[in-house]
Amino acid sequence: MIKHSPRRPSIVIPQRIDVPRSVSHTLPNGVQLHVIDCTEREVVRISFVFRAGSSLQEVPFSASATANLLSEGAEHFTSQQIAEQLDFYGSYYDVSLDRDYAVVTFCALSKFLPQTLELAREILLHPSFPQEEVTTYCTKRKQRLAVERSKISVQARELFSQHLFGATHPYGVVHPEERYDTLTRSDIIAFYQRHYTAPNCFVVCSGHVGPVEEGLIAALAADIPQGGDNSLPQLPPPTAERFAFGPYPDAVQSAIRMGRVLFPRPHPDFIAMQVAATVLGGYFGSRLVQNLREQHGYTYGAFATMVNLQETGYLAIATEVAAGATADALRQIFTEIERLRRDPVPESELRMVRNILLGEVMRILDGPFGIADVTIENIQNGTDNGYLDRFLHEVRDITPERIREVADRYLAPEDFTTVVAGDAALHPDIEPILPKK
Amino acid sequence: MIEYQQHTLSNGLTVLAHRDPTTRMAAVNLLYRVGSRNENPSRTGFAHLFEHLMFRGTRRVPDFDIPVQQACGENNAFTTNDYTDYYITLPKDNVETALWLESDRMTGLHITPTALETEKKVVIEEFNQRYLNQPYGDQWMLLRALAYRVHPYRWATIGLTPEHIALATHEEVMAFYHRYYTPSNAILSVAGDIAPERVFELAEKWFGGIENTTSELTTANAIPFEPRQTAPRREEVRRRVPADSVTIAFRMGGRTSRDFYLCDLISDLLAGGTSARLYRHLVQEQKLFSSVNAYITGDIDPGLFIATGQLLPGITPAQGEEALWQEFEALKRTPVTAYELEKVKNKFEAETLFGELNVMNKAMNLGFYEMLGDQSLLNGEVAIFRSITAEEVAEASRRIFLPDHSSTLIYLADHDQA
Repeated sequence: MIKHSPRRPSIVIPQRIDVPRSVSHTLPNGVQLHVIDCTEREVVRISFVFRAGSSLQEVPFSASATANLLSEGAEHFTSQQIAEQLDFYGSYYDVSLDRDYAVVTFCALSKFLPQTLELAREILLHPSFPQEEVTTYCTKRKQRLAVERSKISVQARELFSQHLFGATHPYGVVHPEERYDTLTRSDIIAFYQRHYTAPNCFVVCSGHVGPVEEGLIAALAADIPQGGDNSLPQLPPPTAERFAFGPYPDAVQSAIRMGRVLFPRPHPDFIAMQVAATVLGGYFGSRLVQNLREQHGYTYGAFATMVNLQETGYLAIATEVAAGATADALRQIFTEIERLRRDPVPESELRMVRNILLGEVMRILDGPFGIADVTIENIQNGTDNGYLDRFLHEVRDITPERIREVADRYLAPEDFTTVVAGDAALHPDIEPILPKK
Repeated sequence: MIEYQQHTLSNGLTVLAHRDPTTRMAAVNLLYRVGSRNENPSRTGFAHLFEHLMFRGTRRVPDFDIPVQQACGENNAFTTNDYTDYYITLPKDNVETALWLESDRMTGLHITPTALETEKKVVIEEFNQRYLNQPYGDQWMLLRALAYRVHPYRWATIGLTPEHIALATHEEVMAFYHRYYTPSNAILSVAGDIAPERVFELAEKWFGGIENTTSELTTANAIPFEPRQTAPRREEVRRRVPADSVTIAFRMGGRTSRDFYLCDLISDLLAGGTSARLYRHLVQEQKLFSSVNAYITGDIDPGLFIATGQLLPGITPAQGEEALWQEFEALKRTPVTAYELEKVKNKFEAETLFGELNVMNKAMNLGFYEMLGDQSLLNGEVAIFRSITAEEVAEASRRIFLPDHSSTLIYLADHDQA
């Protein structure tokens, strides 16, 4: 059907990436303001990053409640007025919370930046956490959590954190949804006063940020109050357990989560482990996908990744497999881990993984919103966007032997925590598969 | 605003090019005008299964993903009821790799019986994971079956049942390929820092030699027209879900009709953001639902307007339904204020702009609007939205939110099993 077929095009590997650097200032209250100006877009994104993640809470759910209720009523505006105005200006408002940080983000059309910042001021500096909103929130979230927890993947994820870090560890603890019944307004106010303060905050803005825009943003950020508590809790050492099974009646699929606690991004072996995790399950043609999906048809997807937290990091493997294939899928995963520890990665495979990681960095830097995300992550890790150059260098220079060596050192099967959620009848078949210490 | 140029190759392939000088990435999007609407009713889920097979390699390129990844690229695809879309993003210097790969799999697909059997298993696991092993996972399947009787929109892209997927044969796969995967049934769009003339040159180089063989398309089965609904429809199911839920669907116009924009705007009035009516009234004030939403399907042929919510404990589905109907009645009776109308229009404009910030979305939009057959909509939808009046909103509400045109789906939480 094809008359002629041109030759396969040659591939160009970009030799360097222009990583936009942010321009940073320290405001009088100590808050760092980082600006990445991409003037060609008529939009502005501003993210206020607070060290106010869930691992810092003393009262269950108080970190997420504080973050989510910031916009639900303030000194000068009710919850409804804030929502109305944000929507009226078409401004996007989002709060994301992880175990370490709360990130409060506003995106606005440039023409509506002043109005959006006025609302941001209310939300960040004058939230009132009205009792009625707190009550509604707790009822709603309690139910939503119940919905989430009826999903097999969520059940597996929570079980995994508990057993990877220990059931009382701030990174591992899982609270029953009933704890929403006893969460009070004063718990939330206390958390806000302790963590939403200048010493716990930095700000990243991108998009069209000229001198005028920057001045408006700085005026707000400079008013974030001093004080609070930025001493970080000493986290206890994780107390990992080897195995847990979560029964899920009649599940047609089992959810598998495996991993082990390692170290955070600044550790000298983090990048090498990130490359190893990518080989194992970090992309669509990865070894786990090849094995579990392409060869066996057990699953729709399988992933492995290095997760970075402020105080530590861990390797995580995740997949959902046909119930009947659960035991063999676990065997296959351990086989792939052993292969990574024993045999150096073939050069052609490694070349591809290098290019995938390079492409990922280029893709996330395409557009002002992605650039802001990268900048935030680098600052959280105590670096700046220069980190990306170092990352790409190390990825480019890494050898198969180095990957084998870190895999061998850090991925001994007997050190893994394995969690399965699925039909209880499968339970007896699984435990004997796990490598013994 | 996305500026673009258009060109058609002699084999019928439509090519669209958008130049963006601010990025080093390029996006290549290839849209085929085939979706689950084109399926045989006894082989539903086939178009989506076929999309998976397009990654199973050709004689020349046994693994599609490897060359993409070697070129620092990323690729994926999705299937809708109306079309199937394949996309690749990669550094612009490697744009030819993407064109080479797409042109190669337009003609050289090589599916072994083993590959077909494995891929069927993967898709059945996708069916399990996303539709059967999730609370409310079958909601969309049940709702389609209720709201449509004859149009192929009555099934979801995943299909009516995993058995249909298991039955697919190699002959059916190849027949589908030859029938629908042809140049004149496809739209190629490229966004990146590449001159449009260069894009057309490269399109000619990689696709120009492919013969068009779509004569069969002219004899394609006509899609059956869904007859007018004349009475309310209703289904109640018991499932192991954490809360009862209410979903009401109404019939609405097709994607290019003015009705689409009216309904899109009404869905924003009801559920576009936390200041919208359903959230304010039914979650915050009346405390009936824990979550609510309203949205439209956006299908080419007349689609559905859907309002849905999960009930709080102690609230009956009848109470939830009644509250939703009061919101529909309010839309019919009281004209929306200038302020509220301006709000949803501003929001639409901002979301349109936020959605045009990377090359992938731009390439995808180019292909989508070309498929709709009206490129003026690519940059014209904000103006259409702006032109909508309060009286039109009330008139559309009176026409659309009628019990006789509604399909109601209730989930009752089966606590004995939970």
